[in-house]
Amino acid sequence: MKLKPTSPLARKIFGRTIRAFSISFWVMVIAFALMRVTPGDPASARLGAGAEEEAIEALREQLGLNVNPFQQFFNYLGDLSRGDLGTSLVSGISVGEIIFNSFPLTLTYIAFSFLFAFLISVPIGVLIGWSNKASWVYSFRTFTSIVIATPNFFIAMVAILFFSVQRDWAPVFGYEPGFPGNMRYLWLPIAINTLILLSIISRVLLASVIDTRSEEFVETGIIRGVSRIRFFWFYILKPSLAPTIVLMSYMMGTMLGATVILETIFSLPGIGRELVSAVLASDYPVVQGTLIFFGVITVFLSFFGDLFAYLLDRRVKL
Amino acid sequence: MTKVLAEIRDLRIDVRVTRRLRLRIVDTASLVINKGQLLGLIGESGSGKTMLCRALVGTLNRRGAYIQSGSIDFEGIDLVNASKKDWRSIRGHKIGYIPQSALAGPNPVMRIGAQLAEAVTQRGRKSKDEVRRRSLELLELVQIRRPEVVLKQYPYELSGGMKQRVMIACAIAQNPKLIVADEPTTGLDVTVQAEIMELLSKIRKEFDTSIILVSHDLQLINSICDDIVVMHAGATIEKLPSLKVTSALHPYTHALYDSRIDLVEPRGKLRTIKGQPPSVGKWPTGCRFADRCDFVKDVCRSTDPAPFMQVDDSQWSACIRHKEIYGGAK
Amino acid sequence: MIKQIREYAALPGGFGIIVGVSMFLSISILGFARPLLIPYAPDELIGDGLAAPSWDHPFGLDQLGRDVLSRTLAAVPADIGVAFLGVSIPLFIGTVIGILLAFAKNRVFLSLVGSIIDGINAFPLLIIAIAMVTFLGPGLFNVVIVLALMNWARYARIARTRATIVLRENYVEAARLMGYPRRRIIFKHVTPNVSSETLAYALSDFILVIVIISGLSFLGLGARPPAAEWGSMIADGRVFLGEAWWITVFPGIALCWSAISISLIVEGLSRRDRAN
Repeated sequence: MKLKPTSPLARKIFGRTIRAFSISFWVMVIAFALMRVTPGDPASARLGAGAEEEAIEALREQLGLNVNPFQQFFNYLGDLSRGDLGTSLVSGISVGEIIFNSFPLTLTYIAFSFLFAFLISVPIGVLIGWSNKASWVYSFRTFTSIVIATPNFFIAMVAILFFSVQRDWAPVFGYEPGFPGNMRYLWLPIAINTLILLSIISRVLLASVIDTRSEEFVETGIIRGVSRIRFFWFYILKPSLAPTIVLMSYMMGTMLGATVILETIFSLPGIGRELVSAVLASDYPVVQGTLIFFGVITVFLSFFGDLFAYLLDRRVKL
Repeated sequence: MTKVLAEIRDLRIDVRVTRRLRLRIVDTASLVINKGQLLGLIGESGSGKTMLCRALVGTLNRRGAYIQSGSIDFEGIDLVNASKKDWRSIRGHKIGYIPQSALAGPNPVMRIGAQLAEAVTQRGRKSKDEVRRRSLELLELVQIRRPEVVLKQYPYELSGGMKQRVMIACAIAQNPKLIVADEPTTGLDVTVQAEIMELLSKIRKEFDTSIILVSHDLQLINSICDDIVVMHAGATIEKLPSLKVTSALHPYTHALYDSRIDLVEPRGKLRTIKGQPPSVGKWPTGCRFADRCDFVKDVCRSTDPAPFMQVDDSQWSACIRHKEIYGGAK
Repeated sequence: MIKQIREYAALPGGFGIIVGVSMFLSISILGFARPLLIPYAPDELIGDGLAAPSWDHPFGLDQLGRDVLSRTLAAVPADIGVAFLGVSIPLFIGTVIGILLAFAKNRVFLSLVGSIIDGINAFPLLIIAIAMVTFLGPGLFNVVIVLALMNWARYARIARTRATIVLRENYVEAARLMGYPRRRIIFKHVTPNVSSETLAYALSDFILVIVIISGLSFLGLGARPPAAEWGSMIADGRVFLGEAWWITVFPGIALCWSAISISLIVEGLSRRDRAN
């Protein structure tokens, strides 16, 4: 596929890229605003109620809070453009480095969860969706809606009760880096995430397959006598994947949110746990920096998800 | 050598609506199509014409429908009890299908070239060059300009008329004996409609392909078809050469003809057929057109089912009173 | 009355809706009627901690000797009540803003506001809620504030998309041409149409908000002890999982019960939609 600079596809992609950047800009603005708009002073919150005036002032100066808001915003943008997200008030490590150290772990187990969830969802969604048996569809939807409605920390608790406390198949918490040792600690969180994700993904895929099944071009494909494998991919799966892909990219953002809880429960040193510790310690720069990170990642994941879906299926509105 | 290509006899099709409820949607439909014949199949919505076609191409079970009784014979193959092997030899090779243009058409996630290649390579492998050559040839046959460009495009980049031409190209790819065209021009501009009709006519002439053209537009069918089969409420009620449509032997056919739009004079009244066709599942006994017929008598309702009778070698009618009303074939 | 219920249940999706509504009503009523039903107060220290479920205390006693059943029911106003607020406020704000936006003509303005709304939506709700707690401090009230501040944007997006579609519909065009007072008729057409979509979203959102409230409390950032709240109760029981599973499991079941009841209603409604 040749991309001429002014082909309609290129123009669309260009437009969406611009939009992604502009949304990211607003993400940064919002992160900035949230910190300033709320009552209470970050510095005194950090140092506690009984701190001395001078200490508070010093911290405010360090955080750049002693200048007027516009100046603050300008400084903020300047810092961001240099990639400087601030420094932790607790450890003194740069926020960027904290993220860099903790995100890979989170990314790893999320990615595995998505992969497994997708691989399991495809056969289930296609089998049940294509079968046209109302009873299968009904029971499947009921089961998955129960899984989705259950909060992930409760599933985690029950899983821990079952696997860690009553049997010793998984450690209750902790983490040991390096493959393959880390798998011992990661398998349960991955399994839990996979269960939740596959409930969500397979439902959408199921609905999509059911829609596809009633399309006229499928009928034409049957009459044309297309071979089984081809038919499966081009007439069943490919036309049904678009909504699933879009959903998955959206879910990535939501999943990042959910990691906060899981990492706390399992004491995994991922980015979610960093955020929670930062919140508990009123470590503003880390909270703000992590917020920006989450926001921007969600925007771009969404964007790439939409783009990928469009490349698969031109019916997607870009 | 018989000139009959396919014959449907007294076909009954039921559909499974729910686990307990079954509805009859086609009741005593009979149809014969000869080699090289352009047969029009006309009827209002719900007359069963689409289902009849689905039975012919074997996609009834997708919608929970099945053949209750009757026979379909295609070139000696019994389609009612055909095996998977039989269907494999027929599909894409002996029977082609052109879908309703208003509903999608080509597969939206495949390029045109890929879909044509699919249609072209149904039987045995062909080299890439041969496939490409044949695909371009087909696109030119259906009068698509710049076929090399179209091959690389996706359906959403084409107009309605072009998409239909592509569907026609795919349908004729393997030179099938029979093409089933289910309302191929619905939703297209009038000028494009005429072009597509021209194209179908040309294909029939050049390749001696039989075509079943389904429509609800009598004018359209009249313009190019050799013969017309009329369906009403699940039954075939008349078969006649299109030239003889003015001397039809069934009140319904006459009513259809008389209600054509082009007959209306300025400020004149539009003639309609009174009433509605009976809904599926609520078919009355006897002739199902009885409630809407101007010539109805008691005997019409008591003769059940209304038999599809051969009047002469080119005309059939299901009206038991046709001799009284029209005085026999002319 | 029974007959009417039977008839309703026979409609597509009706069964799920009825089950869901009954489940939801039962737990809500039990929760709000707790003072009349349960002899023990939720913060009353009764006996030795970690007592297993018994006839007197069907859900057992927690680590401080409080009746778990009483506490579980006492958490209803906290979880369900707060969730209700946390959904209805953004619903209202978001729908109003979304409809107003649909009337805007200036392309630049729309693009700008659209980007801002998308920016707000880019933050996973749980993340934003956690971060906001940094600034506002813990507490259920603050959670409501956070939700009001940030969640409206999701409703606004839905409302705006829907409203722009409705405004282009033929019947609105017709109403305008017939000279109907713009405000009145457009409110009569646009608002119900848009509201049906935002309300549908609100129902699903309810589940999410319950999870956020309990999730935050679980992390220690929401309800503060000794307040009874399912999330914090689950967190309390974490350490005692092996010896006293009931401290965690019963609040968890209550949580699931509420979420599943709403989920069934949503399922039933969508089935109704599809059947039509």
